[in-house]
Amino acid sequence: MAEPSKPNHLPFLLIVGLLAWLVPGGGHFVLKEKKRSIIIFAAIVLTFCAGLYVGSIGVIDPVRAKPWYVAQIMNSPLVAGLGYLTATGSYRAYGWPNEIGQIYTSTAGLLNLLCIVNAVYLAYLRSTQTSGGRNVDS
Amino acid sequence: MWIADFGVLFCGLLQDVSSVVIATFVAPEELGTNPSSMLWLLPLAASISVAYKATKLPTIRAGNFIKESVVLFLSIVVFIIISVLVLYALAWVITE
Repeated sequence: MAEPSKPNHLPFLLIVGLLAWLVPGGGHFVLKEKKRSIIIFAAIVLTFCAGLYVGSIGVIDPVRAKPWYVAQIMNSPLVAGLGYLTATGSYRAYGWPNEIGQIYTSTAGLLNLLCIVNAVYLAYLRSTQTSGGRNVDS
Repeated sequence: MWIADFGVLFCGLLQDVSSVVIATFVAPEELGTNPSSMLWLLPLAASISVAYKATKLPTIRAGNFIKESVVLFLSIVVFIIISVLVLYALAWVITE
């Protein structure tokens, strides 16, 4: 007897993950978790902007601070644009880009990574429940 | 024709606005290394508490969310204070 074909959830999970990366809280917004998405957006964007204000855009340095940059780019792919600006010297930071700014922007990125994983997990739970699959919540 | 003109105008405006926004972030703040600079951990701890609780609570209700976030924030701060005291005591024992 042929096994019933399992629905492929991967494209949906990828879209949720990409949206959550593109805009903080975007993944939860797609899942109709509007309150959650607004809170996540506000918390992450404010933390990132506070880091940029305190430390200047010089804290996003893809050349000399690569480990920090990896955490920062988790905020959004738009951070790569800022990294390009600082790497090419289009906008110079006047002064020492301090470490507190680096910690703030990197922590915001890691928080967004947590939110991306959470959004994808929520999407997975919902897609398995709606398709009558095994309830992984229990 | 006017659509193309509008597009050029819009792109120029967008470029000017983004330049102004980015230009406000080119001068780092002078923070120094003094005891009061440790206060910068408080907004970060608050942000971590809020974002973490936004992912963990099954339902978001204002009262419960604020209470849970405040509890986590205070837990982080208390743990940091305990760590500081332990490290200070260790440093005192080693150096005295």
